Amino acid sequence: MNTLAFRLFLAVLLAVLCAAALIALSGHNPLEAFAAIASGAAGSPHALGVSLNKTTPYLLAGSGVALCFRAGIINIGAEGQIAIGGLGAATAALVWPVESPVVAIGVALLAAALAGAAWAGLAAAIHLGRHVHEVLVTLLLNFIAMLLVQQALAGALGAPGAGFLQSPLLPRAAWLAHPFAELGAHPGILVGVAASGGLSLLLWRSRFGFALRVAGASRQAAAYAGLSLPALTWGAMLLAGALAGLAGGIEVLGIHRRLIEGFSLGFGFKAVAVALLGALEPLAVVPAALFVGMLEAGSLSMQRQVGVPSSLVAVIEGLTMLFALAAMARR
Amino acid sequence: MDFLAATIRIATPLLLAALGGILSERAGVFAVGLEGMMLAGAFAAAVATWASGSDLVGIGAALAGGAVIGLLVALVAVRFRADQMVTGLSANIFAAGVTSYLLRANGGRAPSIHLDPLANWPVPWLADLPVLGPLLFNHPPLTYLAAAGCVALTWWLGRTQAGLTLRATGENPEAVFASGGNPARTRLLAVIACGAVAGLGGAVLSLQQVGTFTDNMTGGRGYLALASLIVGRWTPAGAAAACLVFGAADAFGLRLQTFGLPASSYVLQMAPYVIALAVLAGLGRSAKLPAAIGQSLE
Amino acid sequence: MTDHLLEMRGIVRCFGAVRANDGIDLTVPRGQILGLLGENGSGKSTLMKVLFGMLPPHSGSITFKGRELSGHRPAEAMAAGLAMIHQHFMLIEAMSVVDNVMLGWAEAGRVLRRKAMAARIREASARFGLDLDPDAMVADLPLGRRQRIEILKAILRDADLLILDEPTSNLAPAEVAGLLGILRRLRAEGKGIVFITHKLPEVLDVCDEVAVLRAGKLAGRVPVAGVSRAALAEMMVGRDPTAPHAPDAAAPGAVRLGVSGLRGAGLDGIDFDLRGGEILGVAGVDGNGQLELADTLAGLRRPAAGRIALNGTDITGASVARRMAAGMAYIPADRARTSLVRAMPVAENFALRDSGRAPYGGTFWLHPKARRAHAAQLMAQHDVRAAGPSALVARLSGGNQQKIVVARELDRAPTVLVAHQATWGLDPGATRFVLDRVMALRNAGAAILYISSELDEVMAIGDRIAVLSGGRIAGVVARAQADLRQIGLWMAGQAA
Repeated sequence: MNTLAFRLFLAVLLAVLCAAALIALSGHNPLEAFAAIASGAAGSPHALGVSLNKTTPYLLAGSGVALCFRAGIINIGAEGQIAIGGLGAATAALVWPVESPVVAIGVALLAAALAGAAWAGLAAAIHLGRHVHEVLVTLLLNFIAMLLVQQALAGALGAPGAGFLQSPLLPRAAWLAHPFAELGAHPGILVGVAASGGLSLLLWRSRFGFALRVAGASRQAAAYAGLSLPALTWGAMLLAGALAGLAGGIEVLGIHRRLIEGFSLGFGFKAVAVALLGALEPLAVVPAALFVGMLEAGSLSMQRQVGVPSSLVAVIEGLTMLFALAAMARR
Repeated sequence: MDFLAATIRIATPLLLAALGGILSERAGVFAVGLEGMMLAGAFAAAVATWASGSDLVGIGAALAGGAVIGLLVALVAVRFRADQMVTGLSANIFAAGVTSYLLRANGGRAPSIHLDPLANWPVPWLADLPVLGPLLFNHPPLTYLAAAGCVALTWWLGRTQAGLTLRATGENPEAVFASGGNPARTRLLAVIACGAVAGLGGAVLSLQQVGTFTDNMTGGRGYLALASLIVGRWTPAGAAAACLVFGAADAFGLRLQTFGLPASSYVLQMAPYVIALAVLAGLGRSAKLPAAIGQSLE
Repeated sequence: MTDHLLEMRGIVRCFGAVRANDGIDLTVPRGQILGLLGENGSGKSTLMKVLFGMLPPHSGSITFKGRELSGHRPAEAMAAGLAMIHQHFMLIEAMSVVDNVMLGWAEAGRVLRRKAMAARIREASARFGLDLDPDAMVADLPLGRRQRIEILKAILRDADLLILDEPTSNLAPAEVAGLLGILRRLRAEGKGIVFITHKLPEVLDVCDEVAVLRAGKLAGRVPVAGVSRAALAEMMVGRDPTAPHAPDAAAPGAVRLGVSGLRGAGLDGIDFDLRGGEILGVAGVDGNGQLELADTLAGLRRPAAGRIALNGTDITGASVARRMAAGMAYIPADRARTSLVRAMPVAENFALRDSGRAPYGGTFWLHPKARRAHAAQLMAQHDVRAAGPSALVARLSGGNQQKIVVARELDRAPTVLVAHQATWGLDPGATRFVLDRVMALRNAGAAILYISSELDEVMAIGDRIAVLSGGRIAGVVARAQADLRQIGLWMAGQAA
């Protein structure tokens, strides 16, 4: 494990070095750019708050993805599950406005988790029922989910006026508060940390987690051990879907306070990146998600201050994933 | 007539990418990286044509751009034996980032690239045929290339030693090794070639259809190409048929919109994805993958 | 030097501290069939891999047709005129015979000349009596035919030396006779043949000379004429090879496992009753339904028809978990992927099928501490040599891995044990350990189905011997009445 952690660290380092070369190539000073990222990500309480908010969806969805990957289920559908979760939260908040914030938020987040789980369940049903590879199912459902959200926003859920599709502002009771005044962050990060802690416990201390690990290591051994692969797939997918849906709900209630088209764009693949970078260990997904979240938060100030395009972040993420894959490969 | 022309137009980039994907998957490597390969090809084609003023240079750059992503996938998935699917996804993220970054690398703002889309090459005589002429024999060059590629790939896979070796590598790499071949090398080359061909598919978008490059302009077409080659059972002809079906679904949606029919455009845009999912679900277990796909070597 | 086709001198190849080949000299003249005998792990396969360029030797030289071969790869070995016919055929099942033959063959042309090649296949097939249709799909052919494709490939590529690795292990006796006939024709054409096996009768039947390897060294080389089986066996194992017979059991008890009319993929109507305190040894050539029978009994496959009763209860459709609860234990053949998870520690492998049972865990949570303690205890009881309960199973030797499986399955105090190839790939000490534990379980009153393709072992341990052939039981006989010739006929597919 130590050596794996070290190799993953090297993977990140290598990706950052490649990014530095790209920055230098475009005529900027890499150190200056990285300093801008650092200050944008953690230079002030507010910056740190932004980082934490950005970290939250990656952490929630990424822990769920890690759980699925452990069981050998390549679930790349977090994006669709986040989208549908956001749709669920917004619908609940708009359709059933209540006075009490506790009830409003509770109902909306519950709707988000259920909607995300349902979307993941649809993928599980097609995968198990019709033997279609889960990567293809979850991938195609991502596109369909995104279009479903757009359809909803173009129809009953939409509000006219903006240049893009969006819902009306949600009732105030459903807004996630920002209890840490200095940071300006919503409490989603706490939910994320709790979820990854819970999943870690589940993975290492429960029979369900043991079964997932056996199934991920060898399908034949799982059958021999009397484990039901369909049941495991259902369990892992529903859990991951619920967490991704929750992430979508928190984005909607905590950041946008309305449903916007494409709010989930790219989240799903980043959830995969974070899961890999965390070596598929839910607790280690916390620092991995924080790394990506801070990178994203810092990239905007890098673009502003130094003039290096913020899409550099995607380069770092892609390279980190590739190097992490190579580092985690056997031998 | 317009409808059929639109179908072919939409199917062309998909088909080129799918042909590349067939190379990769028949050699035993999942082609999830098609999206990134296409995007890199589209980017390289647009920038190189803009900088050089030559379409031919642009097409060469598309081949090279796609091949670079192919090389990355090949190194990580074949050389380091990482999970092929996740490697493909990572390459897609990288391609999206690096094309967007490089576009702005000079001064932080994207240059405005305006290219004249590749002109139609009417085939002498044939293009004047009634009905069939405009439909089949009056297209821009890369469309012909896609059709020719489909025929050439069928021949190459079935009739040449290299094609036989590639297919054998996807079925039983150990047997290839035992008969004196080098399965790892075959896979590496297949994935790089996949990248190059898919890069051409990207060039169709940027050079032939739009005339510029915008961030993430492939918009999921690589994934659709992947679905079409599976629906088409890993044969060029089957993939072509699937691409045409997806193209037709898309074209149909566009038509309905222009007629202002009540069906919402977003629901219609779902059609290709829903069709792909339905066909895959319909095929179920009978979709027989190359036996050794996804397995790493040794 | 003499006109040897092949000359290997002082070949040394090590794996870590193990000297798998420890200075081996081997020569093969033209027109000779040389038997290469040796137990598992004696270095036969390593030597042949070195020859074929799949493993580089650490020292020694290879001369083939007067030319030195060194640093070569399989492609160069093949170009020089060597051909290797592997135990597991290197064929592509989804392709035709002609495509398989053309794969990697320069003469087929860069643009394949399929028709011309098919004609050459027909011609060679007729000349050597191979009876192969070039357009047949490999997947549709029986194993004996598939092997002939490999031989055909060697013939068409003008190989001068053919190496056959355990070529009869997957063949029925009738197919073996056909193979030996083909080898004699090849010898008559002046080819050299190395015939790797551990089966003495075949060696005496077809070989001209036999070389015996033991523990990485050449133990001897003798002409076959005039040598006795006993002498060869002693050369091979360096000791008296007769295995210990199980003492006769007390009178068997009640029927514990009743199987009737069992059908399904690979199974064509199986009936037997197995009583407490009895071992039913199931012999037969691999691939005649052994895996299917074992998996179906253990609940890993569903039968198409038939009934399985465990201690009087119908368990035909019961889950694996219910079967275990009802007293069934299973030692499958595949250690690498089925009965063990190599990437997990020893302790978790002990809990593999029992995670919900004390001391391993409860209905929801696992009990890691209790698991560790119990694992340490089982390791001591069964002499599992590993760094500790948290050592990864992948790091253990095959023998120690199998001890984990045996310990886990016996720890549940089963009333019925199904064992399939339980000693496969184990050294003599570990084999003895497994056999002893199985016999002890029988003596404690359990019923045991012992399936193995090693006839000697089945004969040694079974109270009754059954032979599986073509998915059905060709015959059953009490050990005292067992007649090797009759059993051989059953294995060849003749029903009793």
